[in-house]
Amino acid sequence: MLEIKGLHKNYKVGKDIVKAVDNVSFGVEKGDSIMIFGHSGSGKTTLLSIIGGLTKPDSGTVRYGDTELWSLTDNDLSEFRNRRINFIFQFSSLIPTLTVLENVILPTAFNKAADKHRGIDAKDLLFMVGLQDKLGAYPSQLSGGQQRRAAIARAFINNPEIILADEPTGDLDEETEAEMLALFRKMNVENGITFLIVTPNTDIAGQCNKHFVMNRGILTPRDMG
Amino acid sequence: MSFSLSTLAYKNIRRKFFRSMAISAAVMVVAATLFSVTTVMDSVETSLTRGTRRLGADVMVVPANSESKAMASLLAGEPSTFYMDRGIEEKIRKIEGVKKVAGQLYLKTSRYKCCDTGDMFIVGFEPEHDFTIAPWLAEALKKPLAPKEAIMGRSITAYIPGSSFQIYSELITVVGMLEATGMPFIDNALYLPIESFRGMVETTDNGTVNVFDKLNNEISTILVQTDPAYAPRRVAIFIESQIEGVKAIVSEDVAASVRKQLFMLLRSILSISVILWIMSILLISVVFSMIVNERQRELGLLRALGAKRTDIFKLIISEAAVLSMAGGVIGIGIGGLFLYLFREPIKAALNVPYMWPQPINLVLLVLICLFLSFLTGTLAALYPAVKSMRMEPYAAIRGGE
Repeated sequence: MLEIKGLHKNYKVGKDIVKAVDNVSFGVEKGDSIMIFGHSGSGKTTLLSIIGGLTKPDSGTVRYGDTELWSLTDNDLSEFRNRRINFIFQFSSLIPTLTVLENVILPTAFNKAADKHRGIDAKDLLFMVGLQDKLGAYPSQLSGGQQRRAAIARAFINNPEIILADEPTGDLDEETEAEMLALFRKMNVENGITFLIVTPNTDIAGQCNKHFVMNRGILTPRDMG
Repeated sequence: MSFSLSTLAYKNIRRKFFRSMAISAAVMVVAATLFSVTTVMDSVETSLTRGTRRLGADVMVVPANSESKAMASLLAGEPSTFYMDRGIEEKIRKIEGVKKVAGQLYLKTSRYKCCDTGDMFIVGFEPEHDFTIAPWLAEALKKPLAPKEAIMGRSITAYIPGSSFQIYSELITVVGMLEATGMPFIDNALYLPIESFRGMVETTDNGTVNVFDKLNNEISTILVQTDPAYAPRRVAIFIESQIEGVKAIVSEDVAASVRKQLFMLLRSILSISVILWIMSILLISVVFSMIVNERQRELGLLRALGAKRTDIFKLIISEAAVLSMAGGVIGIGIGGLFLYLFREPIKAALNVPYMWPQPINLVLLVLICLFLSFLTGTLAALYPAVKSMRMEPYAAIRGGE
């Protein structure tokens, strides 16, 4: 479903050129659950952003089926993100002025033409992440872990083909982390949603079927056998 | 359950309530000033136009030494009396360029404690020659005024049509009311045929005097309608050059002089308002730049979730538009309230004809001020909105870290 070929992305830091993503190529099958490990600054977030259509690569291609992502117009790219991809960011990504429920349904605001029933019901999602009693709460009234769970619920609202998760369980306690990873697995198995997760935490490697390591922009497969 | 961008814009406005109020307040001050000044300008213009039209005369001839008194009567409606020889009327009738001539005789009542009219301007006109009151009578009253009948200016509140009052020895009945002109001379005066003065007897400590006999050969003002082929200014020169001891005042010049004098003042205020407007655009622009900088990550996040560039633009512009429109509506309300509450001091300070603009003009002024208010916010937020919509989602997300 997803084919990545020869991705390059450099940043200029002062006089130096930093290779954030260096000739990365790999393929993703529908229903895959992929984990990319790497230390901070290894380029994994940049790679995820290129795959998610958030930042343009210097060279290389990202192909979803027949669609070459970076040949789309900006409007089409926005629509593509809205309908086929979703994200879980490593930062608190809730809009502070919106309630938990409004945050979860936020992606529907940008796709009036879409079938509103295509996605999963927001309240069911919040029930799945254990926030059924926080529908009307604002992010400031939630703990960091609860905010992260709300953001995870939002990632499923448009029933995406792929979820790009950047350290999705970063600030969750062990128990909640396990619950969320179990939810990922359930969505992966039952709904066929593909997961591409980047994390520095190798302890959760068992949740995925394919593994890579990223170091200084270079991606290499790793057998976690 | 659905969710729209306007809900997000509304919630963003509520997020920083005092900042939002400050933005609205800036627009409110501009809207209130612009609305008040333009309304006053329009009012004066309306009054001058209607007043001049109502007066119906192109030239007013008054005694040479009474020009300032005549102007005070005309513009401020100050009751005053000045007289000249009635024979002048016939001389003017023969002057080149003169089409119609009608005399008016002024009476001032308060001084004598003679009448129950109070401090009122009483104007006697000649029904056989008049071309200022008569057309109105024909149109609205459908009959000429009989002796001892009067029509009154719109600002006289002491009487209503049908009521009677005493002037000297005569009982006069009000049979009609003129339309409001904003010209105090017309609005505050009581008009009756000169013939009505004939029986008026003034009783003083020294006996009784017939008022009309005293003024039998006198007239206060001669109103002149000029031949359309002649410029009123030219006819005024003819009159002054051929008749000694008179001053020919051109109506257009009175209006133009008032307009010039007053509009200079109002234009200065308007210029300050425009400067204020530009400053508030800059101020709001700076505030909105700060707002979008603060919300960079959020905007990047919205883009990641599928918001198009135009959605981001619309979001920021709609927030600005709502705040500035709210400021505009409140500002226009405050401006209108100010004009209403301080109408008398404003009239006194301007010392010129003043009346509310026509409803259509008022609606137009409100719409223009609302549009300018809308423009204030949207222009101010334009640069921050364009800058935000052009930002790459990832850069916006990282920029907010």
